[in-house]
Amino acid sequence: MKGTGERIGVVCALLVLIFTAFAWRLIHLQILKHDYYQEIAAEKHDTRQVIQARRGRILDRNGEELAVNVPVQMVYADGSHIQKPAAVAGVAAPFLEMTPEELTEKLTTKSKYVVIRKGVSEEKAQDMIRALEKANLHGLYLQEGSVRSYPNGEMLCDVLGYVDHTGHGADGIEKTCDDALTGQEGFRWIEHDRKGREIVVYRGQEQLPENGSDIRLSIDMGLQAIAEREVDAAYKTNHPASATAILADPNTGEILAMASRPNYDPNKFNQAKSEEMRNRAISDIYEPGSVFKIVVTSAAYNEGIVNDKTQIFCENGHFSYGGKIIKDHHGSGDLSIPEILMKSSNIGAAKISLRMKDQMFYDYVRKFGFGTRSGIPLPGEIPGQVIPPHRWDMLTKTRVAFGQSISVTPIQMVMAMSAIANGGKLLKPKLVMSKGEGSAELTEAPVAQVVKTESANYIANALEKVVGNQGTAPLARIEGYRVAGKTGTAQKISPHGGYLEGRYIVSFAGFFPVNKPRIMGIVIVDDAKLGETANYGGSVAGPVFAKIGEKAARHLDMDPEPTDSVSKQDSSTAAVSAR
Amino acid sequence: MSVNRRRTTNTIEVNFLARWLVIVFLIGLAGLFFVYLKNQQHAVGNQSRLVEAALREEEGRDEALKAQITSMTSRGALQHRLDDGYITLQAIRDTAIARVTPPAPAEVDGVLRTASRDPESRFGPGVPQRAVNR
Repeated sequence: MKGTGERIGVVCALLVLIFTAFAWRLIHLQILKHDYYQEIAAEKHDTRQVIQARRGRILDRNGEELAVNVPVQMVYADGSHIQKPAAVAGVAAPFLEMTPEELTEKLTTKSKYVVIRKGVSEEKAQDMIRALEKANLHGLYLQEGSVRSYPNGEMLCDVLGYVDHTGHGADGIEKTCDDALTGQEGFRWIEHDRKGREIVVYRGQEQLPENGSDIRLSIDMGLQAIAEREVDAAYKTNHPASATAILADPNTGEILAMASRPNYDPNKFNQAKSEEMRNRAISDIYEPGSVFKIVVTSAAYNEGIVNDKTQIFCENGHFSYGGKIIKDHHGSGDLSIPEILMKSSNIGAAKISLRMKDQMFYDYVRKFGFGTRSGIPLPGEIPGQVIPPHRWDMLTKTRVAFGQSISVTPIQMVMAMSAIANGGKLLKPKLVMSKGEGSAELTEAPVAQVVKTESANYIANALEKVVGNQGTAPLARIEGYRVAGKTGTAQKISPHGGYLEGRYIVSFAGFFPVNKPRIMGIVIVDDAKLGETANYGGSVAGPVFAKIGEKAARHLDMDPEPTDSVSKQDSSTAAVSAR
Repeated sequence: MSVNRRRTTNTIEVNFLARWLVIVFLIGLAGLFFVYLKNQQHAVGNQSRLVEAALREEEGRDEALKAQITSMTSRGALQHRLDDGYITLQAIRDTAIARVTPPAPAEVDGVLRTASRDPESRFGPGVPQRAVNR
């Protein structure tokens, strides 16, 4: 009996020992080595699933979509889930436009993340997954993504820019507003089973993505289409090296349209030439020619150096100064300030500049925004070139007065002319109206009051005569509206110094209606193949401005001005009389 | 004899046994219920995963179609079709336009507006004019 009791005791003790060992092992595994094994398990099963943020759209001022996202899928493979690479490749290859051999090679891996193909359309990707499920094969997965699409193709390409392969803006608004457009991607920690399917019950920490903000531009696509069409027509007709047009609201600085040729399709940006991808409105400098006379005349009037009674003797077209001859296209005697602008007298402008002190004239040039970036929110803007007075020779001031020895960008010229149109205020060009739905409209305060309202109005009225019969741009007239503007015809600068004979950059900058300007526009045609006798701002750029203006007025349903005030401009056609 | 037998026989404590049986049964039932709930949770989770996937697929398809519609109806695309002659622009005569508000009469300048911009004729007297979308 005693022996039985001992045996039972030994068995019990053994059992206690065994269970103690098991318990110890359990404690070792579950408590002491908890973190270690959890890490191994997490590495095997946990995945940080990225939830892509939607890139914001770009809209015009009326909500028309200019840049949108097209959903696509990225197909990736998890090598640890693929048992039969050849079988998987056989099913998936046709959907991925790859050969089975190519795909098999990529799938023969133990890596958990191998990108197989990007940019697979939603439909094809889903069909592929269904086909794999049907064949009971695993290992290929989808990751959501999107490609940027520009529904209007080439239209407005310079402003919109494009998105590169990393999904970030590489040019235009896409680049400058990249932070707002991109948003913040989210994530979710998930566990998956042996077959790679998510176990939803064990879904871990999750952070939803913050989608990018929609950007609303000041561009009016109706006006943009008009500008594009007319610039395109001018480009095809005159065969220039380039043609540019900008429309803006002179009261707010809002850019309404910006078109140039040559251009490119941002949907196929990798096929574009660098020459086509330059936004000429902000990155091309040119000598503005006579358009620049608005600066010297308004500055002199503002300082009281000239007034409405001033007469300048224009030397009958030949003025010898500093050992050089300054010529006018048509010789004149005494001219008033409006007549100097109307006839585009170089001698008149030069003589006005000579009445001003060097520093004063230079300060006005800078106050009008030349030599400084306008601040338009687009990449690649250049400040132009303004020579400071201490580097001027005897002739520089007189040259600058009629737009030589100075380089400006088209956008600077638009803003300077806007200052004349709006009563003397230099504005910062506004391209972005708002960022994000429901966000407040972005406002820009005027940069400076360049000249007094009275001076600006005086020059604006004088510029109205430019489109009259005696002016240089009767072809820039718009029926039913009073137009003010100025032509510019500047010889092209030779890269080897001096000027290129017979090659011109012609332009017309103007606004209408004169009494309450709503549209400010500039048209620049670089090196039109027309021959020297026909290549003038008034005959090449002026008519393009008129066509754009006429259609723009109709588009905006602008009230025509009373007939008597328009008739002042004399509606009968006339030949261009001067540059 | 009978007294001795009663002394050597263990009594079955029915109450005690029944109590433990019920406890064990309840624990078992709770365990089974727990397993059932866990299974249900996984099944529902799986269902929600499938629904989410289907929803994502539909959303993706919807977005793809929207993008396609946008590109087909964009100003640029319509312009190309107009240039190629696939579509034409037809002038609409004034008599063919049905207006919900009476047209504004010609003003002193004699020009008849293409659209009535008089706030009263559009929205009725006293109603403030809505911002005109340019």
